[in-house]
Amino acid sequence: MNRYLRELSVAGALGLLLLAMAIFAPGFYQPQPLLSLATREAPTLVVACGMALVILCRQIDISVGSQFSVCGVAAGLMAAAKVPLFLVVPAAIGIGALLGAINGVLIAGLQLPSIVVTLAMMVTLRQGLNLQQQGVFVNLPDGVQWFGLSQLQGQWLVVAIAVLLTVLLGLALRRLTAGRWVYAIGSDAEAARLAGIRPQLGTFLVFVVMGALTGFAAALNLVQAPQVQPLSGSGLELKVIAAVVVGGVAISGGRGNLWGVFVGLLLLAAIAPALIHLRIEAYWEKAIQGTIILLAVVTDSIRGRAPKHPARSH
Amino acid sequence: MKTPFLRFTAVLAALFAVLSPALAADKLMIGLLPKSKGNGYFIACKVGSDKAAKELGVDLLFDGPTDSNAAKQNEIVENWITLGVDVIAVAAENKEGISTALRKAQRQGIKIVTFDADAMPDARSFFVNQATPEGIGYKLMDEAARLLNEEGEFAVITATVTAGNQREWMKHIEERLKKYPKMKMVAVRPSDDLKDKAQSEATALMSANPNLKLIMSICSPAVPGAAEAVKQAGKAGKVKVIGLGLPSENRRYVHDGVTDSVILWKTEDLGYLTIYAAAALAKGELKPGAKTLKAGTLGTFQITGDNIVLGTPFVFNKANIDQFNF
Repeated sequence: MNRYLRELSVAGALGLLLLAMAIFAPGFYQPQPLLSLATREAPTLVVACGMALVILCRQIDISVGSQFSVCGVAAGLMAAAKVPLFLVVPAAIGIGALLGAINGVLIAGLQLPSIVVTLAMMVTLRQGLNLQQQGVFVNLPDGVQWFGLSQLQGQWLVVAIAVLLTVLLGLALRRLTAGRWVYAIGSDAEAARLAGIRPQLGTFLVFVVMGALTGFAAALNLVQAPQVQPLSGSGLELKVIAAVVVGGVAISGGRGNLWGVFVGLLLLAAIAPALIHLRIEAYWEKAIQGTIILLAVVTDSIRGRAPKHPARSH
Repeated sequence: MKTPFLRFTAVLAALFAVLSPALAADKLMIGLLPKSKGNGYFIACKVGSDKAAKELGVDLLFDGPTDSNAAKQNEIVENWITLGVDVIAVAAENKEGISTALRKAQRQGIKIVTFDADAMPDARSFFVNQATPEGIGYKLMDEAARLLNEEGEFAVITATVTAGNQREWMKHIEERLKKYPKMKMVAVRPSDDLKDKAQSEATALMSANPNLKLIMSICSPAVPGAAEAVKQAGKAGKVKVIGLGLPSENRRYVHDGVTDSVILWKTEDLGYLTIYAAAALAKGELKPGAKTLKAGTLGTFQITGDNIVLGTPFVFNKANIDQFNF
């Protein structure tokens, strides 16, 4: 019980919010708007899973928003050139993985700090995209939106893919050796090395996975509308880092899980629509999200001073 | 030995060929410098400029960077100084950057007007201003009122609730709203200039306000974002979508009957007015302190200070949107 205290308290906060909505604004619970909102958050969930891996590894990647835009525009241009979707989606994943690999080589190979490398990556990719695209939307041909399915089918499919991916990654993180590597590298890279784990290789691969997931998320975003905005994904890094931190992943690495990230993202994503239903002014939205993140970090630091539960270090 | 000499003669001959008609006929030569010459927005400007140039009998040079490149704009100004154009009309990519080159041109006796995006006030005589905040705010509100028969709830999506131009437009929208007592603004929501966020906001706005009749977006990415939300909610026609945006980003939704009107100035007219202002300035008909300017078939325009105001924004809708490709 104590082990999942953090995840449970976030879930509790989400439960309270949902309960408050049921009492004060029951109009919040309408199937179509909720499904549309969930579909919009599905790509964010996929990126948040990748970010969780990166932070568990005691690294950070603030270039995901720019990667997302680059993958989205590249995939959009391909789709606009009538490349079939079953090739566009892997291509987006490939481009993302490649960008992640560049980050990975610089961070794991040259041992450069990830915040600096990914900051440079973020700016370079964003400006490169601005130069290339001039902010012009990419218009997509018919049949790309919802993979050519009906809107309802497409929305469920996008949500199902994102949730399934989260579950699979969550299980892999717990059950597979590679998953334990991530925790070990993030907890203590030197100890991990002595235990026969290769921290550099592990870190590199985590960045590649991060990029690939971002590319896939961009593809899941592509199929949601008949056009792509080159700016899409800007600010995504803050959104996913917030979800990961609120979800109980320690920013110092080695502790946390994807269930918490999932609940953390739901909590943060629910705030904007909840405020609209409660008729609270937009000024409060970021303040409330900020407070939640601050609470999360403060409780982390308090817990960090307490002796660690042995089971948590895997 | 021979080749450089030949090349020199060829260049000289070419230069002469370019210059002689201008010299011989004593025709005005106007250089029109867009931010980016491949951009549909400026190509539409040029269509209007060409028309005005033909009416006025002036020579029009049109050149600009292929991308939005401030340094390349300076280069073109330098070239035009050498060429001895009479007027340069420029949409400044970088306000400070271009001004040095423009001041140099002014010292050579070349007149400067700016359009679309202004340079420093001392580096040009007049700015052809496409729209005032009041013009935009009033037009948006009037169009919303027209579509709703002056009655019903509507919501606004902005870029951010704190951005300067957005606040300015909001101020004028709210001012105009007083004219329509049966209309009610139920919410103002930010989109961070993101189409996808605007879509989420619009979705929640509709579910929280069952009587919502219209969504007005005052930043361009939010117009298609709101339209997609309305489409997904199956409320096309029941919840109307209008906003400030580009025809190309909204064409599909306008044709599908989701978006009713997209508001922007008519870029063709902006180009037309710019050339009339440039020619009047060169001929000495347009002097500092002037209050009006006559521009051919478009009629007379007001001048506020050193701003020649294009006036009421233009409404793009199903009937005319296909004529515009920016």
